[in-house]
Amino acid sequence: MELQALAFYVFAAITVVSAAMVVGSRNPVYSVLYLILAFFNAAALFLLLGAEFIAMILVIVYVGAVAVLFLFVVMMLDINLTELKQGFLRYLPVGATIGVVLLLEILFALGVLGASKGTVAELAAKGVPVSSVENTRALGRVLYTQYFYLFQAAGLVLLVAMIGAIVLTLRQRPGVRRQNVGDQLYRRRDKAVTVVKVPTRGGVR
Amino acid sequence: MLADLLHFFTTHWLGQVLVILAQCLAVTVPLLVSVAYMTYVDRKVWASIQLRRGPNVVGPFGLLQPFADGLKLVLKETIVPSSANKVLFVLAPMITFITALVAWAVVPFDDGWVIADINVGILYLFAISSLGVYGIIIAGWASNSKYAFLGALRSAAQMVSYEVSIGFVLVCVLLCTGSLNLSKVVASQAGGFWHWYWLPLLPMFVIFFVSALAETNRTPFDLPMSEAELVAGFHTEYSSMTFGLFFLGEYANMILLSAMGAVLFLGGWHAPFDVAPFTWVPGVVWFALKIAFLLFIFSWTKGTLPRYRYDQLMRLGWKVFLPVSLFWVVVTAAMLQFGGWVPKG
Amino acid sequence: MATGIDSWTLARPEIFLAAATCLLLIWGVVRGERSVNLVSGATALALVATAALLFLPFREGTAFASLFVVDRLTATMKALVLVSSAVALLMSRAYFEKVGAWRFEYPILLALAALGMMLMISANDLMSVYVGLELQSLALYVVASFQRDDARSTEAGVKYFVLGSVASGLLLFGASLIYGYCGSTQFARISQALLEGRAAELGVVVGLVFFVTGLAFKVSAVPFHMWTPDVYEGAPTPVTALFAAAPKVAAISLLVSVLMGPFKPLFAQWQQILVAAAVLSMLLGAVAAIRQTNIKRLMAYSSIGNVGYILLGLASGTEKGVQGVVFFLAIYVVMSLGVFAVILTMQRQGKMVEEIADLAGLARTRPMIAFAMLLFMFSLAGIPPLAGFWGKLYIFMAAIEAKLVIPAVLGVLCSVVASYYYLRIVKVMYIDEPGVALDRTPIGVNAIVAGVGAAVVALFSLLPQPLGTAAAAAAKGLFP
Repeated sequence: MELQALAFYVFAAITVVSAAMVVGSRNPVYSVLYLILAFFNAAALFLLLGAEFIAMILVIVYVGAVAVLFLFVVMMLDINLTELKQGFLRYLPVGATIGVVLLLEILFALGVLGASKGTVAELAAKGVPVSSVENTRALGRVLYTQYFYLFQAAGLVLLVAMIGAIVLTLRQRPGVRRQNVGDQLYRRRDKAVTVVKVPTRGGVR
Repeated sequence: MLADLLHFFTTHWLGQVLVILAQCLAVTVPLLVSVAYMTYVDRKVWASIQLRRGPNVVGPFGLLQPFADGLKLVLKETIVPSSANKVLFVLAPMITFITALVAWAVVPFDDGWVIADINVGILYLFAISSLGVYGIIIAGWASNSKYAFLGALRSAAQMVSYEVSIGFVLVCVLLCTGSLNLSKVVASQAGGFWHWYWLPLLPMFVIFFVSALAETNRTPFDLPMSEAELVAGFHTEYSSMTFGLFFLGEYANMILLSAMGAVLFLGGWHAPFDVAPFTWVPGVVWFALKIAFLLFIFSWTKGTLPRYRYDQLMRLGWKVFLPVSLFWVVVTAAMLQFGGWVPKG
Repeated sequence: MATGIDSWTLARPEIFLAAATCLLLIWGVVRGERSVNLVSGATALALVATAALLFLPFREGTAFASLFVVDRLTATMKALVLVSSAVALLMSRAYFEKVGAWRFEYPILLALAALGMMLMISANDLMSVYVGLELQSLALYVVASFQRDDARSTEAGVKYFVLGSVASGLLLFGASLIYGYCGSTQFARISQALLEGRAAELGVVVGLVFFVTGLAFKVSAVPFHMWTPDVYEGAPTPVTALFAAAPKVAAISLLVSVLMGPFKPLFAQWQQILVAAAVLSMLLGAVAAIRQTNIKRLMAYSSIGNVGYILLGLASGTEKGVQGVVFFLAIYVVMSLGVFAVILTMQRQGKMVEEIADLAGLARTRPMIAFAMLLFMFSLAGIPPLAGFWGKLYIFMAAIEAKLVIPAVLGVLCSVVASYYYLRIVKVMYIDEPGVALDRTPIGVNAIVAGVGAAVVALFSLLPQPLGTAAAAAAKGLFP
């Protein structure tokens, strides 16, 4: 139990620090790398909660795919952070206010401030215990029955995202020769090559 | 006395940690030796295909060649380019090497022979193998060299592309198994080689193997390090042991993907025939043989096939493998559902 | 738990639309750009057919494990959304052909946006709300920047996307707080938890505030309206026409069903928010529009003002109020589609123009169009006996009955101020000297839409009964 608590604090601390570094680091590539570190530790926190499926999916989807693309973009763009940070001080008060409000709300909801009853903590304590079913199986059971509708609707959202990405970026350039594998495979030897007898010192006509 | 020791190793936390460390060593050391000899075998096979003799000077039949190479790499000077990003430059090979090693934690070598028998073994493997790309992309960026960067971009795009079809292949297998646990995947293939998944899922096995070639940047998908255009791709600027780590990581990844192939499609530790002389051989030997078989095909393709062009490689991944594997997921699910073969549990 | 056959029949219109869209998408992909006219025609037809399916036969109830609900209100709102989307789609062709962006993905995206709006309207769970909202927003972000080679269109798309994402984030944050305190995302359970005393928790109220804020972004109510003028101006005009109609209906409908449904016990709290937003929207809509020179921007402010009236109706929290909201929305959709149809006929030397000054002397060059525009402007200003008057009347009556006298009076005053700029357009058309006259385009879909819309607006007083009954029937379901 103490080991778990220790692990929790280590992972949580690294998550928070690396999240801060995402915003704070000067080099955007470092920012993305810190983001990855934060994802990793978040995954570890999920593992501690016993949600191994979500932990793995977090790593596969966010670290394995999304962050790679981020890294791609950030490495290709020559982002000048000093320029980006010009407005930083100007926007700081607004941003800080919003941040503080959100933080206060979270603290409030957790019951840290103002000990009202019925905080999230109290509700969580009364919640259902994590069942003994593997959580992959448990998710599978509700995803295709109870939440079938949401699952399908989410599929449509992804479809829209795909159509949108294609429609906004795909351009048919004229005059580009495209490979047609079918044509290549259908090509016969006698259409491509002719065998000629070359007489000595005569050359090919 | 013995009881005390047993008690110490099973209950005391220090004992448990020691046991885990011992298990890790028991996996890692043979693995590294295999990696060393994989380089040797690779060169030998390649040489045989080209009617050469391959390494044959150091030791009998050149058997000590890998160690000579290793020693050479260790003794050389590590050169860090002056314009490189030092921290990341050094970090990149480590990432490649470590991700290639940690994946082994969930691979079952025999019935019960596994360090961490976790519920989501397949997902873990998939997650770890998707991390390998970071070593490459960071190496390419940190080197601050155009060859390295272009190689890294190619490599990353390639790995991300082929991971998608590997994902669908995994879905097919786990549909048949009904579990993400690798031991259960193997257990569900019990009884003779015709029960292994390579047969019912043959197209998926082919896709898996080809994607594994692409995932490890091996011929015919070794564009990231195509010498003619990019010198050596992402590790152009690396020398000595930093290069060595990339090299080791690449081979360890090959062995890992072969092990995945063996677990998912070739019945893991099961003997090919469920009768007496075959069942006497320990499962771990069968497992090693299967890995060796797949590795041989890796070397064989390297010796025989020419390199793909980049657009062809992308076309193969996105326009052929992705639709085919997606379609096969549907077919598999339909067969299981309507054939009444849905795994219990 | 089980999704029985009942779910499938209840969601039949949605399933039909989704299937039709997917088939048309495949058709478009296979046939390429040649298919665009066919796909757009078929999509419009599918939208109308879906609207018909809603009532043939009409069934009510909840489906898919209570994630989805159908009743009179949702069916009416969905019909409004579908028909206005279909009209907006038909209005688009001429414009996009002119700018060379007439591609088959446009009708598909429009249909998916309409589907998202239907899911939003039918949501009976916080999660369904979010998924529906995202479906419609994502499709709309894309169509806003559909003219991708045009810097303003791209800018509109990006702006809409960024602010829309913020709004979604706020909505999600609110939803998570509500879930945390009420212990469920289902509307029925939330309502139950609130009645059992959770209503007193500040966390719930904070969650509700965030939730309503997210939706206020989507309906562009003040103070969350900043994106509206830029997006309306930048987006391709037919897309703006759509923005002004269908998504408004969907978001307002969602607001109605959320506030009148599970959050009814928190009436006192959300009424304050709505009254404030309504009054501010009405004021800003009236004042800020005065200085506009671009007619699309002007319509953006006009829509902000109109949202103010709608929110006022909703803030009354009575059956009469909801009735007024439905009534007003229907009329507003007709007026705004009509105005945009007129704008879409504005061309000079083959180019689309959108300045108010370009309308000068329209009455002499194209009297019919000018007269239609005059009717719309008078109606928007709320001059009797045109349709717009009845809509406002309904809303103000409901507000006064609910003792919201001061906001109602302010609303009337704003309406008076707003009529200044509506009448200015009439003045420009009828009194100002024409510069270079606008082209005499052949009568197309837009002229027809404008004509039909104008006829509806003008002759509404003769037959207000059907809409009144429909609105009453829709509102009745919420007040058993």
